[in-house]
Amino acid sequence: MKQIAIAVIGGFRAESVQMRRSKLLLFLATVQSVIFIFLVSIFGLTGSRAPIAIVDEDRGFYSAIFTDSLNNAHHSFSLKFMEKEKALDAVKHGDLVSVIKIPAGFSSGIEAGRNVFIDVMVDNIDVDMTEDIQRAVPSAIVNFARKAGLPGIRVKVNETDMIGHDTGFIPYLVVSALALAAFVVSGILSAAALSHEFESGTIKLLEIAPVNPLAPISGRIAASALYSLAVLLISLSVVIFFYGIIPLHPLELAAAVVMCVIIFSCAGALLGAFLKRTLPAASLVFGLALPLYIDSGAMEPERFDGNAIWAIAHLSPLYYAVGILEHAFHGFQVTPEPVFINFIALFIWAAVLLIFTAGVLKARMASC
Amino acid sequence: MTDGLPAVSFNDVSCRIGSRKILEHLNFQTGRGIIHGILGLNGAGKTTLLSLVLGLRRSYEGFVSVLGETLPGRNAMRIRRRIGAVLQETALYEELTAYENLLFSASLYGINNPKSRISEVLEILGLDNRSGDIVKTLSGGMRRRITIARALLHRPELLVIDEPTLGVDADARHAIWAHLRYLRKEGITVLAATNYIDEAQAICDTVSVIKSGSLIITENPGKLIGRAGCCVDLECSPGISGHIASEIQKSFNGGINRTEITSSGLSVFIKEGTKPEKLAMDIMKNYTVSGFRIRPPDISEIFSMLEDRV
Repeated sequence: MKQIAIAVIGGFRAESVQMRRSKLLLFLATVQSVIFIFLVSIFGLTGSRAPIAIVDEDRGFYSAIFTDSLNNAHHSFSLKFMEKEKALDAVKHGDLVSVIKIPAGFSSGIEAGRNVFIDVMVDNIDVDMTEDIQRAVPSAIVNFARKAGLPGIRVKVNETDMIGHDTGFIPYLVVSALALAAFVVSGILSAAALSHEFESGTIKLLEIAPVNPLAPISGRIAASALYSLAVLLISLSVVIFFYGIIPLHPLELAAAVVMCVIIFSCAGALLGAFLKRTLPAASLVFGLALPLYIDSGAMEPERFDGNAIWAIAHLSPLYYAVGILEHAFHGFQVTPEPVFINFIALFIWAAVLLIFTAGVLKARMASC
Repeated sequence: MTDGLPAVSFNDVSCRIGSRKILEHLNFQTGRGIIHGILGLNGAGKTTLLSLVLGLRRSYEGFVSVLGETLPGRNAMRIRRRIGAVLQETALYEELTAYENLLFSASLYGINNPKSRISEVLEILGLDNRSGDIVKTLSGGMRRRITIARALLHRPELLVIDEPTLGVDADARHAIWAHLRYLRKEGITVLAATNYIDEAQAICDTVSVIKSGSLIITENPGKLIGRAGCCVDLECSPGISGHIASEIQKSFNGGINRTEITSSGLSVFIKEGTKPEKLAMDIMKNYTVSGFRIRPPDISEIFSMLEDRV
């Protein structure tokens, strides 16, 4: 037992020194981790700032109310007032998604009780945007009618919020991005630590030593996990201090981050042992990261995406990690499973990956 | 330290990798406290043989015993403590210093007071002033010496070394030979695989020559070379080399092993007892020869000689 402990410490110390000397790798891992946080913020921005031109040829009392209604009708618009010619030119050049024209005589027409037509030109290159406009304009008209006190509106929304506070899309996204950053950073650092043993031939050194090779390798993976944790703390600081998202349950958050690092370090080690090469292992970590992330409830609770996708999500530890992180930061229950079940699932993932990594490592060493 | 049993014993050992036979009915024994060479060309099966000794390959036929213990067995961990290994690839952590590499290795062997033992081996290998250098900045010879130092950390009874001087310059080569001789003096048995006959002659007490996985002979390297005789390379035109070959067979009746026409002239392999200088001078007197060189036979020439005998 003492011998194993010495070997674990030896592996830990050696990997720590190597990591300390690999400053570029650590720097890039940190940058990468923070970039993921910003990357998902861009996801949030792209859907919410679609440029739409308003050509107001009326400039009357009712056209102002209508524009205001349109502004509040859909979160994904960025309305700009433009002249007709400039707006049509911009939509042709791909600078605008749509041009909404309020015709001259709009206000007088409303006052006189006539039907008034609003021209909408849409760049339907992306049906998602087209449908947004198709939804937004009628809802703006209803809103406008209510604000203007026009007769005929009989139905009003009576909203009851499940959560006492509203949360922006970006704060929702960046929290889940921590799980993605943990996956990529821990996965790559531990995969590199293990595959390096095969690349440099030092795995044979471990194989002829009078101690189970898993002992020094565990020490190495533990060291790489510790560095991953340090990198993630930087990303966590960005989420808290730059985005201003304060966790509601800090201990839960700490436990979730540590669990993520452990699990994803094991996953990286498994890939490193299996592939025996750093480059393919790192590429595979990247390749797996986005699909697993997107199917984890990172954008919205995964249950909302349909039963099939939700069922598949259970196969990924990111699903449980995102569930815990959203609860830890925002107090959200984004998985039907309670948070403690998510923690148990992560523990099971960690145990399975550890056993699996040991098995694969043994098999790969035998085939050296 | 010794129990009278051979350090390494192979008894009718055969080994395959896939469908390819690597070792075939191999029998040999290595005495204790000597340097025993495994001599063979690339692909002869030397590294596979060493991997059996180190327990890296567990699937084979026959019996292998190392330091009196049969492999593979339950006692694998105990045997490993008694063996040091220098693998063909240096297998060092490039970003660590020599000292840090040894410190990591010491942790694998559970060495007590590793710092003082590391200092000792570094001094033995003449590396004490380079211990703080990062491995990737060191020369091939230095790296080789670190791997030897690493193999000696736990005071092994048997040192298994694959290609002791692979990729090192002449100075480093001689230094490594000197270290291996020192280890023999200290009572450590060395099993060294090499494909250089001069290396075998320089360090080995006995050599086992293997070809295509089969043992050809186990002998003292000096005797082996003596039996092959030395070689006189003559520089002459292709037109007369055939004539010289037939003439010297007659005039040095029984003193010539064989002759070989080469691109630069003629190589004459002479038997023990025949004086190469006399042969060269006699030829130069009678034929137009622009130069000559006396040298020991190389490994392929020894193989030719051994095959001729077989």
